[in-house]
Amino acid sequence: MITKKSPRELIAAALVSLLVAAPLAAGPRGGGGARTSVNRGGGVNRNENVNRNTNINRNTNVNVNRDVNVNVHGGYGYGYGGCCYHPVATAAAVTAAAVVTTAVVGSIVAAASMPAGCVTTVVGGVAYQQCGSTWYQPQYAGTTVNYVVVAHP
Amino acid sequence: MRRSFWGPLTLTAMAAFAIASSGGAQQAAPATNSDIDRAAMSALEKMGYYLRTLKVFRVQTRTTRDEVLPNGQKIQREGKADLLVRRPDGLRAHVESDLQDRMYFYDGKSFTLYGRRVGYYATTSAPATLGELVDVLEEKYDIDVPLADLFLWGTDKAAMSQIKDAVDVGPSEIDSTTCEQYAFRQDGLDWQVWLQQGANPLPRKLVLTTTDDEARPEYSVTLTWDLAPAYNDAAFTFDPPSDAKKIVFAGDKTGSGR
Repeated sequence: MITKKSPRELIAAALVSLLVAAPLAAGPRGGGGARTSVNRGGGVNRNENVNRNTNINRNTNVNVNRDVNVNVHGGYGYGYGGCCYHPVATAAAVTAAAVVTTAVVGSIVAAASMPAGCVTTVVGGVAYQQCGSTWYQPQYAGTTVNYVVVAHP
Repeated sequence: MRRSFWGPLTLTAMAAFAIASSGGAQQAAPATNSDIDRAAMSALEKMGYYLRTLKVFRVQTRTTRDEVLPNGQKIQREGKADLLVRRPDGLRAHVESDLQDRMYFYDGKSFTLYGRRVGYYATTSAPATLGELVDVLEEKYDIDVPLADLFLWGTDKAAMSQIKDAVDVGPSEIDSTTCEQYAFRQDGLDWQVWLQQGANPLPRKLVLTTTDDEARPEYSVTLTWDLAPAYNDAAFTFDPPSDAKKIVFAGDKTGSGR
């Protein structure tokens, strides 16, 4: 059980929220990071790439949270843990319950905001997270894992 | 400063210049050819050519990278990487930071990203060369190939023309190896490289300072080279552990996910 966050996680969480709040319009200042390539990220596309670097930051942060929330099942989600705090028991309930969740199909959820109590299910060769009545498809966006709300696959 | 000689005329001229330039950047003078040390540029080119001659190598790195909080405060992150490279079409990289652990596999046909801690991997088809892979991963998948510069120097993808200032700083020792330190300036980026002296001008250290961010965050990497690594070709192909789960790349999806 996760009861206390380290300073690193707190900084990570702060970065996540701030970067998510103002991800792309920030320009060259604030919430960014050092360039890591001499030959990429300069010239015409520089601003774009700076922003991309901020995404990398967010990505690295997300993984800590992700390990907390997903790998350590049973911890409490400290995002908007709406749907699945207590396990909605059976698959039979899933389709009906999907209607009443707030998760909109197609929306993207950061790992830090994933609810607890999810179950990994492989459908068609790829993994999904079933969290109560809501299904999420994990994906690599950059090197970050985030989750797309999908219809029951 | 010979202000006594020209007196008021110079002062007037200086004032006019100050007014003219006050609205712009503090470093007024544009770069000219005289700011570029040809020997420094030549050393960079030689490094690029030399890197091209390496068919197989392993390089291990230690990195620090500054992140900038929205209030301007810098947070330095530690990281390390271990790359095995087979030109032109093999890469196996393990990149670890405080917060992320990722492996990259490229065998000339497909590319896989694997997060050991999260247990997810994704695979996609890949172009035939490392240089092309760098482009595709950046443009389509938003993924930076670790140490991409190593695959770009000495090719037409190297941004040599962006260099506006080049200086040979002098000898400097990195990990008990005597290097020559060079410093370069580009738009938005000051950077330094330490090249091993002698016949094998390997980059042993790099420091990049991002200058278009007020906080001037830095990225620093030291490189340890092995030019005769033991390996077999299977190293470049991902063989999923039994507990690894396959997922998708956002960049491979059409229409959905945004």
